[in-house]
Order: sequence, then C-alpha cells, then structure tokens
Amino acid sequence: MARVRLAPRSPKPQVAKPLATAPFIAPAVLVVVALMYLPFLYSVYISFTSYNGLGAPRWDGIANYVQLFHDPEMADAIRNTAVWVAGGVVVPVVLGLGLAVLTYGMRHGPWYRLPFLLPYAMSGAGIAVIWGFILQPGGAFGDILKLLGIPGSSTAWLSYWPDSTLAMVVASAWQATGVNCLLFVVGLQAVPVAVLEAAEIDGAKAFTKFVRVTLPLLRPMTIVVVGLAIVGTLKTFDIVWVMTQGGPGYTSTTLATAMYSQTFVANSYGYGAAIAVLLTVVTGLASATYLKQQVQVGAAKR
Amino acid sequence: MTRSNVTHTTRQKLAAVALSLVPGAIGLNAVATNTAQAAPATTIKLYNDKGAWDKYFAAVGNLAKKDIGVAVQPVGYTNEDTYDALIDASFRTHIKPNVFTWHTGAQLQEVVKQGDLASTSSIWKQGIADGDLTTGVEKYYTVDGRQYCVPLYVSYYVMYYNKDIFAKYHLAPPSTWAELLQVAKTLKQHGVTPFYATDVLFSFLWFEQLLVGSNPTLYNNLESGKASYLSPGVVAVMKEWRTLIDDGYFTNPAITTAPQVLLKTGAVAMEPWGTWFTGNMKLVDAPPSSYGMFVIPPENTHLAKVPMIFETGPICVPTGAPDMSADMKFLKWWTTPAPESYWASVTSDTGADPKAAAPSASIAAIDKYASGPKVQVVNRYYEATPAPILNTALSELGAFMVNPNSYMSDLKTIQATAAQYWSSHSAS
Repeated sequence: MARVRLAPRSPKPQVAKPLATAPFIAPAVLVVVALMYLPFLYSVYISFTSYNGLGAPRWDGIANYVQLFHDPEMADAIRNTAVWVAGGVVVPVVLGLGLAVLTYGMRHGPWYRLPFLLPYAMSGAGIAVIWGFILQPGGAFGDILKLLGIPGSSTAWLSYWPDSTLAMVVASAWQATGVNCLLFVVGLQAVPVAVLEAAEIDGAKAFTKFVRVTLPLLRPMTIVVVGLAIVGTLKTFDIVWVMTQGGPGYTSTTLATAMYSQTFVANSYGYGAAIAVLLTVVTGLASATYLKQQVQVGAAKR
Repeated sequence: MTRSNVTHTTRQKLAAVALSLVPGAIGLNAVATNTAQAAPATTIKLYNDKGAWDKYFAAVGNLAKKDIGVAVQPVGYTNEDTYDALIDASFRTHIKPNVFTWHTGAQLQEVVKQGDLASTSSIWKQGIADGDLTTGVEKYYTVDGRQYCVPLYVSYYVMYYNKDIFAKYHLAPPSTWAELLQVAKTLKQHGVTPFYATDVLFSFLWFEQLLVGSNPTLYNNLESGKASYLSPGVVAVMKEWRTLIDDGYFTNPAITTAPQVLLKTGAVAMEPWGTWFTGNMKLVDAPPSSYGMFVIPPENTHLAKVPMIFETGPICVPTGAPDMSADMKFLKWWTTPAPESYWASVTSDTGADPKAAAPSASIAAIDKYASGPKVQVVNRYYEATPAPILNTALSELGAFMVNPNSYMSDLKTIQATAAQYWSSHSAS
C-alpha cells in the first residue's frame, strides 16, 4: 500500500541500468546495513538469549518477553511512558501553538518568542540538572512557594509518583515549547492573507477565524509537530535518567530508562534487548498509525 | 514523496562521508601501531573509568617512565556503564587494554571465571613479604585461591562531621553506637539534621552500615548468596533504619545539593563516606580544620573486631595483554611506596600501601587504625553485590527511604532478584 502512494507521479525518469547504478549505491547501502540493520538484528537475537556481556549469549527462547509481562518495573515503565506521551504531546504543542498565534504579526513578536526558544539550545541533560536543583526540597521552586505564602515549600517533587513524572514532563515542555512555537510560526506564514481577509469580510470574529480558518490551514504543520512529539516522548530518556534515574524504586522509570538500566546497569543484556524491541515496535506502530490516519484524513478532505 | 527523497539524499551523503572516513581511520591506526613498535620506550595504555583523573594517571606515568622505563598513556572514560560494557566487550576481541581499572567483588569473580584476567599471585606474595600489601585486602583480590589485579586505591568508610557544629553543641566524636545516637538526638533537638542520606546511587550507604555494624557475618553471607534478604537480621536492620528515618535523623533523600556542600555549610552534621571524600571537601574549599572524621562505632558491642567498610578499586591486566611483561612490571611497581604516596597525595586518600605517606594526619590515623588488629574490613555493598541484585537493591532501598513502611515488599523484591541470580550462579 505504502509503496503505491510513494511512487512518483511525474513521468518516469530515465534510470540507468541497475548494474550501472549498483556500484554507486553499494557503499551507502553497506554502511546502512552494517551500522543500522545488523545491530538491530543482533539486538533482536540477543533479546532471545540470556547474556551478561561476558562470554557467549545463551539461547533462552521467549523467556525475556514472558518476563516483560510479569515485571512490576515494566508496568511502571509503560504507565509512565503513556503519561509522557500524553503530557509531552499536549502541553508543549498547545503552549507552542498559543504562543505562536498570540505573537504572530505582533510588533517585536520575535523578541517575545526568543526567551521560549532559548532552552532549545540546551541539552536535555543540562535541563535536567537545572530542574533537579529547582525542584529539590527547599530548591528554587520551594523558595517561590514560600515567598508567596503557598504551603509545600519543602516538598520533594521528584520523590513521589505522579508528581515526579508530571514535574519532569513540565521540565521537558519548558524546552520543547519554543521550537514548537517556531514551527507553528513557519506554518502561520504559509496561511494566505487573502483567506483571512475573506473570513473577516464575512464577519468572522478573532476566535472563529482561528478555529475555522487558521487551525485547519495549520494542519500540515500540526501533523509534523505532533508526530515528532509522539516519537520524542516515547523514547524519553535523558531528563528522567539525570533527574531520578527512574526512581525512587521504579516509580518514574520509562521504557527507555528501563532498557538502559537493565542492559548497562544490571548487565542483563537479553532482557534489555527485549525492552528495546518492545520500544521499537511501540514507536513504529504509534508513528505509522498516527501518520496513516492523519494522511488519510487529509487526503479525504482534499 | 518529497520527504522520502530528501531522506535518501541525506542518508547517502552521510554514508559517503562515513565511508570516506573509514580507510583514513584504518590508515592512522596502522601508523600508530608501527610507531609504538618502533619506539624504544615501552608505552602502555591504562584504560580507566576515572576520566577526571587522567592528569594524575599521566603524572604517575611519568614517574613510571623514570623508575621502570614504562610510559603510561591514560585512556579515561567518565561513564561507568559505558566503560564496563567496553571492557567486557574487549575480552572477546584481540584488542585488549594493557592495564585497566576494574571492580572487586562479584564483577571481579565474573571476569576471572571467564578466564579473562592474568593472575597476579606472585606480585601479592612479594608485596605481602615486603609489607607493601596486606592480607586483609588480599582476600578481596583472591578468586579460587589465586590473586588477580592489585589495588589502585583503598578507602575506608568513616563518619565525616562538621567540627563547628559539634563545638557549638559541645559534642565529641562518639565511641559507641549509643553515643552516636545521643549525638544525633542532641543535634535534632537543636534543629540540625544529624545524618546525610540520598536515594540516588548511594541508597545503600545506611543499609550496609547498619547491617555490617550489627552482623558482619550475615552481611558477607548475603553478598555470597548464602543468606536471604528476608532473614530476620536483615528485616531488623530495615526496621531500625525506619525508626531513624521516623526520628527525622536524615536529610531528605531527594536533595540534589552536593554532600560536600551540605557538610561544609552545616546543613547536615554527619556524613558516612569513604576517605576519598576528603578530596570532595577540598573541591569546595572547606578548611581542613572545619571537618573531621571518626570510625563509625558498631551497633553490636559483642563483636570481636570493629567492622569497617572499605572500598578498593583494582587495576588489572587481562589475559593475552598486548605487552604482558611491561604490563605486569607496571602493576608490580604500582604496589610500591613511591606511586602509592603520590596517588594518596593527589586524591587526598589513604594509600593502598601501608608504607605510603598519608596526605594528612587524620588520614594517617584512619589508615593505621584500619590496617591494625582491632579491625575487620568488609567490602562495600556496591562492589560486593552482583550487578542484577545491586540494580534492584539500589532502586528498592531508594523507594524505601521515600516510603519507609514498604520495607517488607522492598526486601521481597530484592530477594526475588537475588534468588533468580543465585539459581544460575553457584553461591561462592
């Protein structure tokens, strides 16, 4: 199906004989195969073994996959990953869209957007360290609460679920909002002024204009932003690993942190690989389903 | 359609770049190897997971070049997980480090049983005869009667305390467990948090201290798979720990401020650390007169010897090392007083060699006491526990500190992992 849709619509280009092109394509194919496909296949193989990184892997059948369904750590990881996807898609996308719409066309608009964009220049690990300090008991956030006379200044935000995961979603949104806003601004630039003027002449108020005209025209950009957010949050790792290492206990772990700690901390390479395969399947299915649905809806509307 | 074209083009470009780099890299490698073989002075590569110490390793290397004609090129990593995976993987290849830093306990046993380490029995024999190595430490470098690696460093776990706070409330370093609790009580009454605790990574600190102080035999049995985490002795320790938490004796485990800052500023009065912590105190410019250290008195007053937790990091030579004679020569040299004294001075820690000069009087006192007859050294939980059990235990102990009433379910989870591990590894 997919192949059919991606086939070129323009007249068939003159392609040289396959034998002639092969030497040119081969190096690239070899590198991709050696660095991407083979490691992936090896991981899949390892996921069916018991292996501690030393000696040889021992074939273990589907034991690792069976364990996935009995492991309380995995239950926490799946729950938290779901929270991350929900929170990580909704918060930065809505905030980014709001910010873009409010500042677009405004005088000095870019200057209002700049502070939100700055965190994007930082690494996730750096963000995590800063937010770790802010959120620790008696940290900057606690100080602000104290100053305002709001109780909870000595709360350990990262010690209990769901506060811990929600706080980290906020930290991540702090970084992602700016770039989403930027993408939406690019989208807004593509909205034809004539259409907006026509809506105004028809008597549309600002809100109606936004919901009925701007938002539908932003659709291609929204698909991209949301799609990126889904994939990005499914593999959430850096912020969680630096801020809580998935703890206390496993309460804030995600699929990606569980994969890492099982593989490289517990030296359970087989089980870690099984989590990696699960994560790959989930990410692949989620992106494919989302894009397929969005593209079909878009095509139908057209 | 457009997107897929773009992706392909980018990929091809990347692939082309990557490919063009490969022959260059191979060429460089060949050149490097040739040069090393041609040079008269032997250079060995010292792989380590202590990347921040590369300049210290380099300085020791200069000393080695002068003393024994072996130059050292440190290859430092800063992420322990990456480093361990790299070393594990190198055992299956022909490209092995000359010498590398490693871990004692379960991780040492695993690689020895795999046949990946060259024995250092003769170095130990000579070292003990010369008084450069001790039998107390030898035990932790012995697997099935043979020795492997030599100590890069030895640290003893003691209680660091803020002297200003102790002086303010007229407190003296305690010599019994009851006195320690009395000190804690007094501090708490004056609004000072007595003890440092953290639920990230070092969540084992108080577990091991309470267990070792009450029953070191049980601790050792736990580490070798002969005892259960559900033993009454272990459960009692968790209950006691819970009481101390309920009494408000610990810092909030979620605090991320560095422990050396907390101790320096007096936000907490006491912290249990290895003697390497003196280096951390120096990093924050804490005046040496503002803090001290005392041996943590065991809770069990009937013990014949005072159990002291110690941490030792080995430096090892793999089987089939690139230059076995130079590599072993370096290891042997490392156990002598000159490099050990230098190492102790740069790390502000005890030297693994009893004859090494201590960097300060307080470190010298701890060193002397710990290698004396009144003390039984016990390997730190982090090294002594096999990786899968450790991973679960660190998480569960962290969860316990946040929710102290969950101790039984936490212990059950750890025991489940331990049972699974020991079912496929013979208890040693």
